[in-house]
Amino acid sequence: MTHSTHSRAADVASGFSRTSRVLLPLLIAASAAVWAQQPAPPPPAQQPSSVELRLTGDPGTPPRMAVPDLLALTPDRETQEAAKIISEVLWDDLNFEREFALIPRDTYKSIPAAGSIDAVPFDRWRELGADGVIIGTAQKTATGIRVELRLYNVRARQSAYGREYTGSAANPRIYAHTMADELHDSQRSLRGVARTKLTFISDRNREAVLATVEKRDVKEVFIADYDGASQRRITINRTMNLTPSWSPDGRSIAYTSYRSGGADILISNIFAGTMESPAKGIGQNYLPVFSPDGTRIAFTSNRDGNNEIYVVNRDGSNISRLTNNPAIDVTPTWSPTGTQIAFTSERRGQPQIFVVNIDGTGLRQITFESYADRPTWSPPPYNEIAFAARTGPGFDIKILGIASGETRQITFGEGSNESPAWAPNGRHLAFMSTRAGRSQVFTVDRDGRNLRQITRDGNNTTPNWSQ
Amino acid sequence: MPKVSAPPDANTGRRRGHRVTTSLSEINVVPLVDVMLVLLIIFMVAAPMMQKGIEVKLPVSRRADKMSAARPYITVPLSYRSDRRVLIDQESVSADVLGERVRQLMETRNDKDVFLRGDAGVQLQELFEVIDRLKAAGVQGVGIVALQRAGQ
Repeated sequence: MTHSTHSRAADVASGFSRTSRVLLPLLIAASAAVWAQQPAPPPPAQQPSSVELRLTGDPGTPPRMAVPDLLALTPDRETQEAAKIISEVLWDDLNFEREFALIPRDTYKSIPAAGSIDAVPFDRWRELGADGVIIGTAQKTATGIRVELRLYNVRARQSAYGREYTGSAANPRIYAHTMADELHDSQRSLRGVARTKLTFISDRNREAVLATVEKRDVKEVFIADYDGASQRRITINRTMNLTPSWSPDGRSIAYTSYRSGGADILISNIFAGTMESPAKGIGQNYLPVFSPDGTRIAFTSNRDGNNEIYVVNRDGSNISRLTNNPAIDVTPTWSPTGTQIAFTSERRGQPQIFVVNIDGTGLRQITFESYADRPTWSPPPYNEIAFAARTGPGFDIKILGIASGETRQITFGEGSNESPAWAPNGRHLAFMSTRAGRSQVFTVDRDGRNLRQITRDGNNTTPNWSQ
Repeated sequence: MPKVSAPPDANTGRRRGHRVTTSLSEINVVPLVDVMLVLLIIFMVAAPMMQKGIEVKLPVSRRADKMSAARPYITVPLSYRSDRRVLIDQESVSADVLGERVRQLMETRNDKDVFLRGDAGVQLQELFEVIDRLKAAGVQGVGIVALQRAGQ
């Protein structure tokens, strides 16, 4: 990602709106800060850490982990700030998956900082109850920053895992996210989500109306890190854009846009700076979702007179109609294998969720709520569908185990809770809630714990989680 | 919490819930009530108190209840005054990490009570430093351990 390619992306995204030129310099300036200097994915480890050991806690409890501030080996302010940010973000990333019990950072004060990465006061960390401690260093280099991180087994007093990263110092959070994912992988055999991103719709810019009064709702596509950091805008067409959905490779976002008047599906290739229109503007097209392999898109269209579910190749070829019913069929979601689609249908009266094979056979109703909408199919190993069910004046998020047939609820009437979207490891959901007043994006674990508010500015809706 | 509701005012009939101006000279009873809630006195049946060479001479009490449950022991030896170290069960830890360690202990327990064994020579101020940390760590009840007075 360089300066120039992103400018082009911004150009293409905005090129369709006459007045957006004014905004362009601003956007480039903002995005350059985030993207232009963002480090490339850190290179493979150079640390010759010999044996990688698994950390254990007391029987039946997760290992207790401490993540003190990294040691800044160079005295400049940038390195010192990076050292602090990396340790804070790493603490947060590790805490997010609940695989480790993180010792609160404010209890580290009494423990002297390690003099070097090899001189760790193990006794003091053990006294605090730590099974593992992550000691790291940050050092300014000619081109950016070098970050070394080591996980020590406090009981065994030895290094259990080590990594060294070099790259830009512009966004130190990426080093923490990378280390967190690698630690979850090596220590807990878990695919972490620290490097994933959310996309959602926001009206935060409160922009002036373009064109007619009916188009007053200026809603644009935004992206953010999984923890809500680095929020930035992706579309600049000053109309209404809805229901964004990541491609599996994380390089494209499909969404519904009213850019050309009616609803149509656009795919923004956010790195290449190009756009595609696979539904080709025939009829009104909404609610696109990529297939798990990224080659196809399921969506809703009224091109044949009434809203039905269609599947089309990403390049617009080979369109097929999956449903054929006088009632409304909307909000498709793919099964993890790409062989089935769940969707909402009003064919039995109130909206309920149905599953159908990709060839149109095997239709069956799976929810029997008073009103169920917005299914989202979990990735493996969980075989579940989360959806929004009407539980009172608003909605709550429920999760249906497809094998067990059992439904559980994870929100309980605090505001209205809608539009669930699974994290790629199936352990978390992003959803929209009005519990904090306006519509905001939250994340929550699949057991209903660990609620976090991701957005705070404007109204933010319909989150989707990258792979 | 003992009820400290003011009696209805004889003249105006004002009751609890209305704000009544009080004189500044009144003793602030809140902390005292707070402490009384938490503390109960318990006596040890077994007297030997030698641990890692640290001798703790428990205070002696005539009116104490028998200990009934297995709870974590926090021991404050006389040496606390010089090294600010206490014992969690058998393990000696710095008072700085006492709060976090007890928080970890309490996480997995339904019963949020601990036994506090202070040497009879420990000052009340020192004991309260420890109690403050215990309360911050989520401890709801502190049983102060005493020896039964001989001959009872």
